[in-house]
Amino acid sequence: MGFIPWATSPSSTFEKSLYDLIRGLRNHKGNEREYLQNCLKECRSEVRSQDLDLKATALLKLIYLEMFGHDMSWAAFNVLEVMASPKYHQKRVGYLGAIQSFRTDTEVLMLATNLLKKDLTAASTTTIALPIVTLPHVITPSLALSVLPDLLPRLSHTHPAVRKKTIVTLYRLALVYPETLRAAWPKIKERLMDKAEDPSVTAAIVNVICELGWRRPHDFLPLAPRLFELLVDSGNNWMAIKLIKLFATLTPLEPRLARKLLPPLTEIIRTTPAMSLLYECINGIIQGGILGSGDDADGREEIATLCVNKLRSMIMIDGDANLKYVALLAFNKIVITHPWLVAQQEDVILECIDSTDISIRIKALDLVQGMVDNDNLVSIVSRLMRQLKLASSRDRRVAPNPSGAGPSPGDSDEDDFEGTISPAQGTADQAPPLPDDYKTDVINRILDMCSQNNYGFLDDFEWYIDILSQLVRTAPLPRQINDTETSPPPGKYRIGDISEKIGNEVRNIAVKVQAIRSACVQAAEEIATQLNRDTAGGHSIVSGAMSPVAWVIGEFASELSAPEDSLGLLLRLISRISSPEPLAACLQAAMKVFSLVAGDQLASWTAERKSKILLLMARIVHTCEPLALHPNLEVQERAVEFAELLKLTAEAASGQETSTDTLHQDPPLLLTQAMPLLFAGWELHSVALGAQKNVPLPDGLDLDEPINPNLNYLLSSADSIPIPADEEDEFETYYNQRPPPTSIVSEPAINRLADGRNEVAGSYQQPIEETYLDADILAKRKAERSEKNRDDPFYIGEPSSIHRSSTPIHNILQNSNGPDLDVDSIPIMELDLNRLSADVNKSPAQASKRTKPKPRQKIVIAADENLGNSGQSTPRNYDSENNSDSNAAKARARKLKQSFLAVDSTNIGALNLEGDPDSGAYDPETQQREEAEMARAVKEVERLRLEMQRANERIQVAQGVDAAGTVVVRKKAKKPSKAMVAGDGDQNEAAAEADVVKPAKKKKKKVAPIDDGDGDGGAASAESQGVVKPKKKKKAKPAEIQETA
Amino acid sequence: MINAVLVFNGQGQPRLTKFYTQLDTSIQQRLISEIFTLVSNRPSGACNFLPLPPLLAASGTSHSSSEPHNDVPSLVTYRNYATLYFIVISTSTESPLALLDLIQVYVESLDKLFENVCELDLIFNFETLHAALSEMIVGGVVIETNLDRIVSGVKAQGTVAKRPVNESRGGTLGGGLGMGGTFAWPGR
Repeated sequence: MGFIPWATSPSSTFEKSLYDLIRGLRNHKGNEREYLQNCLKECRSEVRSQDLDLKATALLKLIYLEMFGHDMSWAAFNVLEVMASPKYHQKRVGYLGAIQSFRTDTEVLMLATNLLKKDLTAASTTTIALPIVTLPHVITPSLALSVLPDLLPRLSHTHPAVRKKTIVTLYRLALVYPETLRAAWPKIKERLMDKAEDPSVTAAIVNVICELGWRRPHDFLPLAPRLFELLVDSGNNWMAIKLIKLFATLTPLEPRLARKLLPPLTEIIRTTPAMSLLYECINGIIQGGILGSGDDADGREEIATLCVNKLRSMIMIDGDANLKYVALLAFNKIVITHPWLVAQQEDVILECIDSTDISIRIKALDLVQGMVDNDNLVSIVSRLMRQLKLASSRDRRVAPNPSGAGPSPGDSDEDDFEGTISPAQGTADQAPPLPDDYKTDVINRILDMCSQNNYGFLDDFEWYIDILSQLVRTAPLPRQINDTETSPPPGKYRIGDISEKIGNEVRNIAVKVQAIRSACVQAAEEIATQLNRDTAGGHSIVSGAMSPVAWVIGEFASELSAPEDSLGLLLRLISRISSPEPLAACLQAAMKVFSLVAGDQLASWTAERKSKILLLMARIVHTCEPLALHPNLEVQERAVEFAELLKLTAEAASGQETSTDTLHQDPPLLLTQAMPLLFAGWELHSVALGAQKNVPLPDGLDLDEPINPNLNYLLSSADSIPIPADEEDEFETYYNQRPPPTSIVSEPAINRLADGRNEVAGSYQQPIEETYLDADILAKRKAERSEKNRDDPFYIGEPSSIHRSSTPIHNILQNSNGPDLDVDSIPIMELDLNRLSADVNKSPAQASKRTKPKPRQKIVIAADENLGNSGQSTPRNYDSENNSDSNAAKARARKLKQSFLAVDSTNIGALNLEGDPDSGAYDPETQQREEAEMARAVKEVERLRLEMQRANERIQVAQGVDAAGTVVVRKKAKKPSKAMVAGDGDQNEAAAEADVVKPAKKKKKKVAPIDDGDGDGGAASAESQGVVKPKKKKKAKPAEIQETA
Repeated sequence: MINAVLVFNGQGQPRLTKFYTQLDTSIQQRLISEIFTLVSNRPSGACNFLPLPPLLAASGTSHSSSEPHNDVPSLVTYRNYATLYFIVISTSTESPLALLDLIQVYVESLDKLFENVCELDLIFNFETLHAALSEMIVGGVVIETNLDRIVSGVKAQGTVAKRPVNESRGGTLGGGLGMGGTFAWPGR
């Protein structure tokens, strides 16, 4: 029986075979879409015909079109019909349709159960294989439960092809229905132990165990001897690779295994001609922790060197990029446990960062991130910066279509796939344009590397600020909003967020590093100017860096060189920003700057000043007023508030007489007192992420208890009570005046920074700054340096630009900060509730700590403030993602579940496999779970029965007529109308009952040793010795069903 | 495990799609086009592993390489034969180099089934393409790597059709899909 689709041609000449369809598509160039719609329409009617041949052909065509994205879920019921065909070649089409189009929520799946069970017990091996191969694609817990009894015996089928497929399918069943393993594992194990077993079957078992192995390694330790034997004797490289992977997960549990494994692995490494096996051996040694320290130090040392050297040579080999890639993969694993071994390979790894191949670059980046320290940070970041700079300059040169989007394969256009054989497009010799995702990734990593460990690896903050300014320019622009709507998966970073992250870094530096604050504020201003200039007229500024940068300008307005110019800049920006968040930030910043400009208390109120300020206010009001109708509440509120406040102030100011030569007039109080008070207060410090949680709960705090039992009375009489004036003052002091510093902690924030010996500057054998910084940033840098060095007696002029990058960092810093910067004079307040009320005296311990500052400590990076016991862990807390509390872990787990293509195997880890069966029975949790499962299963069975009922009626009533058959089934099935169920369909009921009874038996069996037959004897014996309680429950439930039925 | 096997041609038209975990048709299509974009931008001499396409990178834990999760697809392997790209998406439990071999075995078995296979054969016989694949991989787990067993397994299901006689051999993919060339790991 051939299965040539066009050979089993349909009776009518008007119907198309798959062959006709494909040919037709190719002959209808230009109007494929129309042709395709016609074909789909034809298929739609053909697939509903009575003629199975026609049906199957139509289905095949639909499967073909599904490949191009034409949904065929509507045909699920027809798929089922074809699956049920007695002819193999039709059945096969049906099963293929099921594989390609069924999803777990396909309701027809319920109806397929009986068919699957029947085909599993068919006589022909090819027919048996169909449901076995299909099940992994459609499996649900309830389906697993009902199919398991028919699938299990296939493990001992005479044909090895059936056995190996069954093993894998059982594994997929176990993923959704872990109880499968309890029944299947003994049999699988038996197969594995059988030395006469077909090698393919053994290999399949090893593959499955390898998949299960990392989920529950303990269960497979007892198999180690047999697996070891297979590794040494089999001579099958495929299997050896898997075995080594498996052993890598076992050795951490059983250290003795490592000793046993080492000789054969070393042997393989030395002798095997297969690169894949060699690689996996090395990988296995790394992952299995065999490299780790142990008793036989010499041997381990030797093997470690062997492995690392092999990997190194893999990277060095020219011409095989694959080896490079996998070696980097392996290094990525080593770096977790043995960073020093990888650090030795820094040279070759850094080479890979500049590879033309993005895959290799990314892997190298992963590695590099783990290797960063004080010495190499600058050189690594410089490399990355140069890459970004080159890429962006190339983007500018090339036409504005860098994405290289090929023809969209979503269209099912069947065009010439034969004529053009050379698909190689683009310039092969040149590096491909960097995709935005990659750029974002690189920028992310640069920021992470620099900010790591609370900026612990960073020596030169001015350099970092320059890097940040440069990054804002290189950062890819955020995508349009409607574009993100079409992409449902919530990414870790939207593209737009990256510039915001850069902006946040600028802000962090400004807040944390006082010594560099003024430079930082300047940089922020420059970034804002740049954004304003670079965004073409008529377009709004979209960079996410805008709002943190604006905040910095506003908050540290006193550091601005020309506040009035900055104010003008902010006002210009406000009119060009459309997104609410930066808009609000700019509004706020503008007000802060204005209050600084206008609020000078000492300067006299001259006519000149009056008119200038009135003008300024008019300008701000003019900018704010259009925003009073802004759809975003935050923006609207700020705009309205500021506009009104300024109008009020303007009134006051215009009414205020100006001072003359003879008469001194004070500026209006509203301007000098009220307005600055809005923004002045305590200085802001960075607070650790979890600090809020550490605020201790006061003893005896009861939120339900009324604070004052006489509240109602007090409220009613509140109007008449005069508030004493001094109380108000206390309030004032508390909120608006800086308290005396309670404790000054000069936490040796970064002791490492103080280590002055390593004069790292200058001598990096790496690209000088010209290669990655823009010209203007460079010029600024140069000017700054010469300015600084002017007063330095040890600095000999400015001979040429060659010396530029060799200025010792400490000189730069020393000069910028003045020769004798007293670290302790920088007050860093500790937010400590316990001490707020206590006396000002420092504890002796702290005092002594303070008296010994490192001699060359120049920069203080304020640590995140924290409370109580977690105070020591501040640097770690800084990185929010490391926050390993349970909520975060759960969230991450949830996130993992959502990821595409991933198999959710969380259930299977909980199942106890090898352990004492009794212990499982006593475990109340397991019991509960089993009961719940049973209940669920029973429900499913009932639903299934109802649905079969419905479907039967459907088929009889509406066959070939009702176009929307499946839909009707779905709707009706949801109503559990008992009366109708009782009506007809006795066979179905019987089948459903069988479904329930069989799994129940299986459950009992797991207690008793499994005997091969499906006989009742096993079950009976199990009953006598088994656990009574759960079993009773299980029995009771089927009985209930029978009653209700 | 293996999460998906895809075959498409130089224009990005799919010739085989097989997902071992369920995925909406529209997302399948997006994934295919994302991978195609990646694959068609590879420079010559680049390695046969792709960076994760945005769709997978976004949903997985792409940045924390220090915390690999074995359930999440983390490896996209591809090989190019004449006009076709063969792609395997897999988790970290698969060996990258072995996957390259696996693709090779698949193509070789197709070559044996069709005798000097070309893209046309695959278009008109995509059912056989599926049959051969399911002799090698079931539910995302490799069950067979032996060429002869795969071929005989497919043949046991019925005769394999030849390409239709009146169909030209199109852009002959001379020497089949041109296998065996640069990538044959010795002693596989």
